[in-house]
Amino acid sequence: MKNTKVILACIIVGLFGILPLGLNVYQQHVMIVCLFYVMMSASWNLLAGYTGQVSFAHAAFAGIGAYTSGILAVKAGLSPWLGIPLGVLFAAVIGFGVGLLCLKMGGIYLSLTTLGVSEIFHIIINNEYEITRGTMGLQVPGLLVEYSKTGYFYIMLVTAIVSLLVIYWMIHSNIGLNFRAVQNDEKAAASLGVDVIRIRVLAFTVSSALAGLAGGVYGHYLLLITPEIPSLDQQFLVLSMTIIGGMGSFIGPIIGAFTLEILSEYIRGYGEYHVLVFGLIALSMARFAPNGVVGLVQAGWAKRSTS
Amino acid sequence: MFLLALTNGLVIGIIYALAALGVSLVVGIMNVVNFAHGEFYILAGYFSYHFANTLGMNYLAAMMLSVGLVLIFGMIIEVLLIRKTYGDDLYSLILTFILSIVLQNTYLLVFGPYPNKPPNWVKGATNVFGQFYYGNQRLAACGAGLVVIAIVYLMLKKTWFGRMLRATSQDREVAELNGVNTTALNMLSFGLGCALAAAAGVILSPIFPVTPTGGMAVALTAFVVVVLGGMGSFWGCVVGGLIIGLVENFGAAFISSGYRHVFGFIILIFVLLVRPAGLFGNREI
Amino acid sequence: MKKSMVCMVFVVLLIFIGSAGFVAAETLKIGVVGPRTGTAAATGKSFTEGIKLATDYVNAHGGVLGKKMEVVFEDTAGSPDKAASGFERLVTRDNVVMVLGESHSSAALAEIEVANRLKIPFIVAEAWADPITAKNYKFVFRAGPSNSGVVNETIAKWVIHEGFKKAYIVAENTDWGLGIGKLCEKALNAAGIANKTVVTERKGQDHYTELAKIKAFNPDVILAFVYGTGLHYFVAQAGEVHLTPKAIILDGAGPPSLWPDFWNNVGDYGNLECLVSSMHKDVELTKLATLFRKNYEKEFGKAPTDYKSRSIFDVVLIAADAINRAGTTDANALVDALEKTSLTVTRGQVAFGTTKGGPEYHQWMPPMLVIQWQDKNQIVLYPPAGATGSLKHK
Repeated sequence: MKNTKVILACIIVGLFGILPLGLNVYQQHVMIVCLFYVMMSASWNLLAGYTGQVSFAHAAFAGIGAYTSGILAVKAGLSPWLGIPLGVLFAAVIGFGVGLLCLKMGGIYLSLTTLGVSEIFHIIINNEYEITRGTMGLQVPGLLVEYSKTGYFYIMLVTAIVSLLVIYWMIHSNIGLNFRAVQNDEKAAASLGVDVIRIRVLAFTVSSALAGLAGGVYGHYLLLITPEIPSLDQQFLVLSMTIIGGMGSFIGPIIGAFTLEILSEYIRGYGEYHVLVFGLIALSMARFAPNGVVGLVQAGWAKRSTS
Repeated sequence: MFLLALTNGLVIGIIYALAALGVSLVVGIMNVVNFAHGEFYILAGYFSYHFANTLGMNYLAAMMLSVGLVLIFGMIIEVLLIRKTYGDDLYSLILTFILSIVLQNTYLLVFGPYPNKPPNWVKGATNVFGQFYYGNQRLAACGAGLVVIAIVYLMLKKTWFGRMLRATSQDREVAELNGVNTTALNMLSFGLGCALAAAAGVILSPIFPVTPTGGMAVALTAFVVVVLGGMGSFWGCVVGGLIIGLVENFGAAFISSGYRHVFGFIILIFVLLVRPAGLFGNREI
Repeated sequence: MKKSMVCMVFVVLLIFIGSAGFVAAETLKIGVVGPRTGTAAATGKSFTEGIKLATDYVNAHGGVLGKKMEVVFEDTAGSPDKAASGFERLVTRDNVVMVLGESHSSAALAEIEVANRLKIPFIVAEAWADPITAKNYKFVFRAGPSNSGVVNETIAKWVIHEGFKKAYIVAENTDWGLGIGKLCEKALNAAGIANKTVVTERKGQDHYTELAKIKAFNPDVILAFVYGTGLHYFVAQAGEVHLTPKAIILDGAGPPSLWPDFWNNVGDYGNLECLVSSMHKDVELTKLATLFRKNYEKEFGKAPTDYKSRSIFDVVLIAADAINRAGTTDANALVDALEKTSLTVTRGQVAFGTTKGGPEYHQWMPPMLVIQWQDKNQIVLYPPAGATGSLKHK
């Protein structure tokens, strides 16, 4: 069983590896955006789906990664190849801090605090326009000397695979077991010797760092960093993708990210309805199938095997 | 400058308190944070605009009708979406977050992108303390806000319905044992929460015209006020609203107008750290 | 169980790859970028109207290269990142040969980078920031106002013409607001007019604090570079605190003062407000301008208000003319044809500047007017040649 999974994973990665050959420039762009959302949803899922900390600051962390690297590149001429790791580090540090800040809070208090953090960050970007260029957007250099969609596709693919491996490793190791124990019952977990504080802060730090990575690479792909990256709208997309795919499952956010991003590209052709359609799907999924597509498939599978 | 900041802070503070009261009520009774609170505010603004300007109704009647319609809409939302989430506060937060985005985009489609402003109740401006002119509509809105807050207070403290609400918010099981139909009560109180958002919306929209996406800022401020005052506390809401109104206006006048809203968020995080239950946080409505 | 999920990933991918890219080639496609959603969605509406009239006009006059012209209008929501990806989508998905439009400077500055990278001719219609043309990109043109053009040719001259002594500049924190605010400051300083500047947030609603600061300065004129609803709030609140009508407000963009809800939002405080515009029914420079107004009234059953509907009309005509003269859709040939443009549109005769080095490169500046609302009538104040009345004070 274990082997088949590894083989399947390799096949999928391999297929993705040759994918650019069959796609035109526009489709490659859509795939790159998909991979960005895969990273965002999967890392948000690590936090929200596995430790129950529904953060509204995840997009803000992507913004921290992107702006750190972007500002360093524009103001200090630092190469994005160095800037992005610094951005990841900075996002991790801030994530660590916010994780500590939220330690004593549960449920909605944590959500509201992260909402506050996200808004403060947003207001700072808008006000310090002399450094960040505010809503005007910061134009940044790219990762490649010669702009190439295929090149960016591979960079994004490698980053996404690394992120997913980190997440996979975390939820399938002892840490992952502890995650779930913490989510289900903090007190019981603590009595079993799980260091609840460490687990929660660890999840926050890793998830923030991964968001920072996604944001940094994405920003240098777009060549433009705007407050849209750390916005609540972006947060909404990430949340919808995770919920539609299936929160608390490894594969769920990946499915959600691909499905919704591709779907939104199709709907866009018919006018300004994509966000609305998106929202309606997310709303009905969240209401009627809270475990997402993955949950539906699992339920269907279970039914078939019993009958 | 000082007096202006004070006046503006108090007036805006009353409005904040009114907008936050609905959030607080719903949190207190149902333990649900309604992320789409601001969208109900906006909806009422649009309704009152269209009743008064498009259909030519009297502005007062238009306002009443708008609040009534939003109340019904809120109850429908409760039945369709919120009822299933009881006991899982994060689930309802996520659902209402998605709902808020859906509503924003629906408004854009239905009402269009232009800002819509219902008619003013009064014209002109008053010279305050011989120092500066202050819009009469703002003063009137402040008065109307106080009236609505007073009505809510009386309803909670003096009526049979209020007693039932308070009993439920203190101990749901005991209330149920004593024959309170909590399902119906939830529906009503969620509707009432939305109606309070609507009241704030119809009162404020003549000053700040409504736009499809304007609700998010309203909701964020309301959350800050509610957390500051203590979730579910009536007086916490009023005091919290006034504090935020004053802090924002003094901050804008004397520190930086661009960072006006940051002051509120910093207070929010600080309060959550030091006294997570808020100023009046013993959960009593 | 896992297999089913893997299958689903495949299905999604297959759908995506399978149904991509068959485009009927009976029409020739031109792209337009502009805000259809967001705070300036009203501009998108004006653009849609102008595009409809222009498409009908071009196709009634033989189309482009013997084919029907089709315009694909991509939403930018007024944000630079959506603008850049929308521009790219037009080129890579819809295979448009040229892109036109835009009304946000910040969005346009992101788009010109994409235009330059993809080598697609881009004619900016209503984004005013100087750097758009000052960057001297080969594929970027502007057939519309530039900040320096509007300030030096119209606003500053009008301020001097009316004899204002003290001016307050209110600039929103965008490329347009900050850019035009700076240029105004420079022009006013050069003319010896006392002035001060305050920067505001684009989405700000409550301006009482800023207004108190402005009132303390006691200006004769307020040059407001705030776009959209923000301007409505500003005008209404300025009236409430009795700043106006003693001081005259100039809407430095124009359209927000012409939007359908302006009067409803500002009430009587809108009277005597001034605005910059390129359209007035008594100042029609060409026959096409009159034809545009008549066609507009026939098509939409109302008089045109937002001048941006006419700007995009002009730009579509300029594009169609260049394509027909180039005789091909090759980008370099199109740039050559555009540089040789000599076409009469609604706002006069178009010719693009070709001297490199400044914002005049690939720029055509249409004449702008200063108009004052006097009892809900638009009175042209400036330039004197086109004036239909004079400035009214309280």
